[in-house]
Amino acid sequence: MARPSLISGAAIPRRLLAGALLLPPLALFLAFFVGPLVYLFWVSLHSASQTALYGHQLTLEHYAQAFTDPFYLLIIRRTLLAAGAILGLCLVLGYATAYLIAPLPPRRRLWFLLLLLFPLMVSNVVRAYGWITILGRQGVINTLFRGLGISDAPLPLLYSFGAVAFGLMTILLPYMIISITNNLAAMERQYHEAAQSLGANPFRAFIHVILPLSSPGIASGMLLVFLLTMSAYVTATLLGGPRAKILVSLVYDSVTVFEWPRAAALAFVLLLLALAIAGLILLVLRPGRVQGRG
Amino acid sequence: MSESAATIDVSLDRVRKSYGNVAAVKGVSLAIPRGSFFSLLGPSGCGKTTTLRIIAGFELPSEGEVHIRGVRVTAVPPYKRDFAMVFQNFALFPHLTVAENVAFGLRMRRIPRAERAERVRQALALVKLDGFAVRYPKQLSGGQQQRVALARAIVVRPAVLLLDEPLGALDKNLREAMQVELRALQRQLGITTVFVTHDQEEALTMSDRIAVMNGGAIEQLGPPREVYERPATEFVATFLGASNLLEGRIAAIEAGKAVVDTAVGRLVVAGERRTAGERLRLAVRPERLRLHPPSSSQGFVARIREIVYRGATVQVFLDCGKQPILAFLQNAAPDSFPWGPGDEVRVGWEPESLVVLDERPR
Repeated sequence: MARPSLISGAAIPRRLLAGALLLPPLALFLAFFVGPLVYLFWVSLHSASQTALYGHQLTLEHYAQAFTDPFYLLIIRRTLLAAGAILGLCLVLGYATAYLIAPLPPRRRLWFLLLLLFPLMVSNVVRAYGWITILGRQGVINTLFRGLGISDAPLPLLYSFGAVAFGLMTILLPYMIISITNNLAAMERQYHEAAQSLGANPFRAFIHVILPLSSPGIASGMLLVFLLTMSAYVTATLLGGPRAKILVSLVYDSVTVFEWPRAAALAFVLLLLALAIAGLILLVLRPGRVQGRG
Repeated sequence: MSESAATIDVSLDRVRKSYGNVAAVKGVSLAIPRGSFFSLLGPSGCGKTTTLRIIAGFELPSEGEVHIRGVRVTAVPPYKRDFAMVFQNFALFPHLTVAENVAFGLRMRRIPRAERAERVRQALALVKLDGFAVRYPKQLSGGQQQRVALARAIVVRPAVLLLDEPLGALDKNLREAMQVELRALQRQLGITTVFVTHDQEEALTMSDRIAVMNGGAIEQLGPPREVYERPATEFVATFLGASNLLEGRIAAIEAGKAVVDTAVGRLVVAGERRTAGERLRLAVRPERLRLHPPSSSQGFVARIREIVYRGATVQVFLDCGKQPILAFLQNAAPDSFPWGPGDEVRVGWEPESLVVLDERPR
């Protein structure tokens, strides 16, 4: 306060410095993310071509197809359904686990979290094949069921909606647990006691205080799980097979038959859905309210 | 304590609390009359907060009984007890507005919406936060948050209001202003209040009664004046303000008085239930000491070691042989203190200023 001239004198070079530091990452971001994205959108607006990346004709047919063709609608619906099921399961199981882990002493909590992180160190491909050996026609479950005489013909467990949803859920659950655990562990115990001192039984204290105050953890967990679900290609393909395809698989399929514009359009549909659902999650959970700004 | 059971709002009966082998509270009994302001005072770790949390039900006593308004609540969970609490860091719900925070207790009690709104409005007016209903706690200053916490507690009209060092988070000036305001509000509402603090001045300023706690037990319980003027133990004598402690042995009992030999000379104290040869600990407050010129015949001789000028008062550190003596003198006139370090003076006090401390084996 005593030296305003000095501060204002330093302000301009400092701002310049900040700008200079920002420039390289900004340039990279523009050149390698925004640029290609715009180009991809441009591609998606064209007809397909046998020889080039895209044809000459400007068209919205790929978008129209995605939102009208029953096959595409089925896939979109299945994608959203899978994401919803995975989110729901992860939320319930993840919150319950986090609720048990969070009150532990920090060291033990850390050990639990490391234990939870351990499966993430194994490649998704390996883990998907693990599920195949469990769910497949000659897999653990079917062999066991036949051995016990519970079923004669092998159950179609693999290459199903359930296999994709369940497989992805097990992969993504740790993200939910970790983000909610961190939120709950950082929360002051006093809030819970304050609620009880005002006559709230443990259930009402949870509903009115603990749950809203953990909304940032829930929101970040849900966003992580949801966005990873929407982009999980390997697991979806290996466990879903040709029958339980979701949207990412369609993008890949279009690429393999050199339908670049359609692949681009589907990628944008995927992006649009992801943004819309992510926005919805934030709108419903309002994690900002914990900061006390409405 | 002569109050009948009907007017006692909180009572603890031989309450103990142990964590493993460590006893945090060792047999605390107290009865708090309706409408009074009761302080639990002591250093950190003395068990005052644990005692408060036992009243609230956040801790269950290992032994003993807790009653609120005559209802036995020893094992009743907090949310079924008739109390409200202001927490050390206020614990306002950050996701709720000021009005929603204050309304929380009423909602949990299922008070109808219209009555709820009216009572919230009144409570906010009471703590002078009328215009702040739609703000969020983070948008308020520390003092304002404190008022919201207070409004949130009193709006439910609890049998007892528990305050856990609620002024600790505020800066000094605000804290002193809030002390006065809190006490005025407490008198106005006539609400039974239990106040936990480590700040002796705060306890003296605000309380009807103070329980001085040390090592999990109450050392002394009484009105502020009594606790300060007649400290029962060495701990109370030194924790509340400062005291000069003198060791002595009774030389003789003469006419109901005990004549005590101490490092500063012979002193006379009340002699009931004393015997010659008994060892005693005596205390006298530094502000009760008077300094006289060496020519005087009053008191005993001491040499000034150091003088600390503190504006309104002067602190004089003296030695009487090996016995250190501290005196606080009022700075009554510019030339009221003519001595310097190394000077010899005589130190004296009124006989009733001398207090005999309990030799409580701890």
